[in-house]
Amino acid sequence: MSQDIATIRVTRYRPEKDGKPYSQDYKVPYRKDMVVLDALNYIKANLDGTLTYRWSCRMGVCGSCGANVDGVPKLTCASFLHEFKGRTIKVEPLTHFPVIKDLVVNMDDFMHKLVEIKPWIIREKESPPEEGEYRQSAEELERYAQFSSCINCMLCYSACPVYGLNEKFLGPAATALAYRYIEDSRDEGKDERFPIVHELEGVWECTLVGECSVVCPKGVDPMLAIQKTKILGATNALKSLLMPRGGK
Amino acid sequence: MPKVARLHAILWGVFSMGGFIAAFLLPVLIYLVGIAYPLGLWPVANADPTSAILNHHHIGTLFLFVTVAGSLYHGIFRFQSTLTELGLAPAKRALEAIGYLIIIIGILVVAYYLLLLNPGVLSLP
Amino acid sequence: MSKEKPFPEYRRKLGPGWWLSNSHFTQYMIREWTSFFVSVFSLIYIYELSLFASGAKNTALALMRNPGIIAFNLAALVFTLYHAFTWFYLIGKVQPIKIGKTKSKPWQALLVNIVLLLIISYAVIQILVLR
Repeated sequence: MSQDIATIRVTRYRPEKDGKPYSQDYKVPYRKDMVVLDALNYIKANLDGTLTYRWSCRMGVCGSCGANVDGVPKLTCASFLHEFKGRTIKVEPLTHFPVIKDLVVNMDDFMHKLVEIKPWIIREKESPPEEGEYRQSAEELERYAQFSSCINCMLCYSACPVYGLNEKFLGPAATALAYRYIEDSRDEGKDERFPIVHELEGVWECTLVGECSVVCPKGVDPMLAIQKTKILGATNALKSLLMPRGGK
Repeated sequence: MPKVARLHAILWGVFSMGGFIAAFLLPVLIYLVGIAYPLGLWPVANADPTSAILNHHHIGTLFLFVTVAGSLYHGIFRFQSTLTELGLAPAKRALEAIGYLIIIIGILVVAYYLLLLNPGVLSLP
Repeated sequence: MSKEKPFPEYRRKLGPGWWLSNSHFTQYMIREWTSFFVSVFSLIYIYELSLFASGAKNTALALMRNPGIIAFNLAALVFTLYHAFTWFYLIGKVQPIKIGKTKSKPWQALLVNIVLLLIISYAVIQILVLR
């Protein structure tokens, strides 16, 4: 009985052994319910223990398993083999990031940007627990809820050609998260975040390609966040021009 | 907000307005002067549309100024933002300077010629 | 995070043809190139106005009747309309309008603004050309 087989073509890089990246094919059993991560785990368990890649929750919430599958940034745990044409599937490390080994990329740049935008509630004074919770209406929640879905998977950075051409660009996820906190009614940190997102290499580098929102697995729509941040920046700049002393 | 970024934010706001101008006002202008007139199509049929528009001293001149200045600004600003994507990142600052120069000269020139054509336009109707 | 990098990382550079690899990117570049036609038409028309202003009206009109210029203007109109439609769609995405509980969709913004464009164009023709 012949078994259905798929070929996973992985771009490998083993700096301790070779100088250059190379392609390696592995034959894995093909089942309708298999995702790319299953195939990678099968390879590591049965065919080649040296294959190196990141993964964790295997259900699309941790953001660890990003890779370029057939040229598109995807979570390997959320990409079924049957989504792809044919039985040969190419798996490469997430584009626009330096590669440490095999499918593992260096995330330092993103981690640095994430910390830079201060992804936490900033308040002048924290009210003590005895005063009760910070209340927020449904409308106030709606203004930032979708942007809080970000799982930091970095697929958007891989999709963004501006980031690919200019590593200094703040990028989709970092801006979307900055916007999430700016729009949160409990947050008072707009003045701290504005200089960061409105640097010349902040939102202003974005030219609305929109691919970030296309690849985002959680529907965050970072392009929308960036555009709204630009509008905030423009109205803020206009206000400071028209009312240099007053107004906030 | 850093000063340079504040300036850029305002320039972007103007670009945004230019985008609306280029979207709503430019198509009809291109059609009238560039296609209807030379090909003899409605509503022009060989009568010169620029003169017809300029005959309406105030709104005609305003329409031409806003459409041309707004579209020029929008077009050049947008082209500048794609410089990195076209692989021209090293020359970006220089090309941006040239672009802004063209915008400033273009807007001054169009204002100058429109005032020559309709000198009474600055006085109230 | 260790600062030491015992083995070299490899970096992939984005080549100049990056926008050809993906149909979204290609559409995006065409959308951005509408700016070329928008700017160049504006410059041509400014030149035309300068000819009008210096009394060389016939030279100006002959310029607009030049077949190469007509071809450019046809392309400019097509690209400007492409700019307009993509602009309307983007505005629809960024600033949806709330009607009661529902939010407007981008294609609805596109349709409404196309109608608005037709109305404005017709008004320009009626007020500035036919009157």
